[in-house]
Amino acid sequence: MADFDPHAMAEEEFLEEVHSFDFWFQAVDGYLRDRSYGQVEGTPDPLMEDGEREVLITTLCNYCVAETAALDASSGLVRLAPNRHAKIFLATQVVDEARHLEVFLHRMKELGVVDPEGEIERRANPNLLRFKKRLLELVDDRDWDSAVFAQNVILETMEFTAFKAHLEGADPVTGEVLDGVIKDERRHLGFGENDLGRRLVTMPENRSRLAEVRAELDELVLRTFEEVQQSAGVEPSQRLTLGREYIEAVERLGLT
Amino acid sequence: MADFLSQYSIQRWLEMCPQGYLENTVYGHSPELREPELVVENETLREESIRTTVQLVVGERCALAASSGLVNAAPDFPSKRFLATQTLDEARHVEIFTRRLFDLGVTEDNLESTIDNYANPHLVKFAEVLLEKVDSGDFIAGVVGQNIVLEGMAFSVFEMLEAVSKQVNPKFAETLSGTIADERRHVGFGENRIGSLIREHPERKADVERMQAEMTYHMLATFSEAFQGNAAATEEARSIAAAEGAGPETAVWHGTDLAAASPEDMEAVLADTVLGEFKTRLGRIGLEYQSPPVPA
Repeated sequence: MADFDPHAMAEEEFLEEVHSFDFWFQAVDGYLRDRSYGQVEGTPDPLMEDGEREVLITTLCNYCVAETAALDASSGLVRLAPNRHAKIFLATQVVDEARHLEVFLHRMKELGVVDPEGEIERRANPNLLRFKKRLLELVDDRDWDSAVFAQNVILETMEFTAFKAHLEGADPVTGEVLDGVIKDERRHLGFGENDLGRRLVTMPENRSRLAEVRAELDELVLRTFEEVQQSAGVEPSQRLTLGREYIEAVERLGLT
Repeated sequence: MADFLSQYSIQRWLEMCPQGYLENTVYGHSPELREPELVVENETLREESIRTTVQLVVGERCALAASSGLVNAAPDFPSKRFLATQTLDEARHVEIFTRRLFDLGVTEDNLESTIDNYANPHLVKFAEVLLEKVDSGDFIAGVVGQNIVLEGMAFSVFEMLEAVSKQVNPKFAETLSGTIADERRHVGFGENRIGSLIREHPERKADVERMQAEMTYHMLATFSEAFQGNAAATEEARSIAAAEGAGPETAVWHGTDLAAASPEDMEAVLADTVLGEFKTRLGRIGLEYQSPPVPA
């Protein structure tokens, strides 16, 4: 991994290397070894005030909805993948997403939530649930480009933006958990950008379909951001920042 | 149920598998190990090795499609989480056996045609029966088909191949050893999780048992073709290896010396072992083993 130079590799060699179990393990081992549920032993976890704890639990519940969507979608995409490299990459993503769900559920239990799954049902944002439903419909329709776009570009960018913003003010333990998750999300986003970028070169006509998917999902992402922040007591003037960062991040990828 | 499923967390899987028995391996074996020169250079031995490895790739591709396809159908998070680890295990198996095909001289360009050419048609049918259940979102039948029948078969086949390879091909034996450790975990999950689901849904027994009989039929037909249909090539490969001093002296597995056994005897010991395992494991989850019609 240390002398790994992706730019010096031919395309086939690059895919063979990057979309492999070994590459995945080398990547995650760097930030997961000696951690339990994404946390370094002994990290201080001071008692939170009730209000702060409630906001964090609601936030984690919504993270769990997004991660469940990613788990169900990435596992469904394995079979649709057009080549063995993509299948193997997606299999690594399936485990990443299940791990994210596990570490968020674990964090909720540490915060005293007795029935995390019931709590998620009670606190899940309806727009995020709509997003999940739509994503899984795209997977069920076996529409590879649209489903990869919805999952590895839109959902991953949404999560990346939200997690990064959260990381800035997070308590030490949640911050450590988020740090490991963000590193995974960066890899997933890279796959989506790379795979779709290559495909759009040969099938530029698919761009308009992706733009339609984006228009539909952007709305759900922005509404989710707005409502979750509102319920967390974020000032209206600050709420726009997250949405703007998300839009800019998707825009920068230049896929639509 | 909660206690047993907590043993299948991602955290534990990370510590046990990639940070455990796969530590310091490359494609499942020690980095310095290679395929024996004779296997790569002798056309008969190479072709027999390719034929065997193709069946492993076909089986593992099926397991990858099934385990990933079952995640969405799983009724609870702990089952989804276990199946996520299984998905990556199966992807790793696809990867390492595909890598072996490359080590045996198959190229990227002719990978798919090689697989099409050597894949046993009964094994392909076996996979289709299972994937039909997975496609319909049938979690109970899917897990029995995948984690009891397919994994039970794979477990014994890998053990048998490992016994034959230990002395003569340490690279392949090591690759198999890691997959056997994975399969042991998978079979354990199938037995534990499905046992409780079968008790909750006894009305599903008949359908699941029908699937087991159908899959068993195709499995036995696969064994028959692999050992008897291909007996001449197997014997030739064995004579060449023996003449070069590259065959195992003895390789005793379940009381049969595989180094000296006839193809019929090898088929019999494999079939008896797998069917014995099926009966035991199906019994543990409250299902009765169904004998298939004898393959023609």
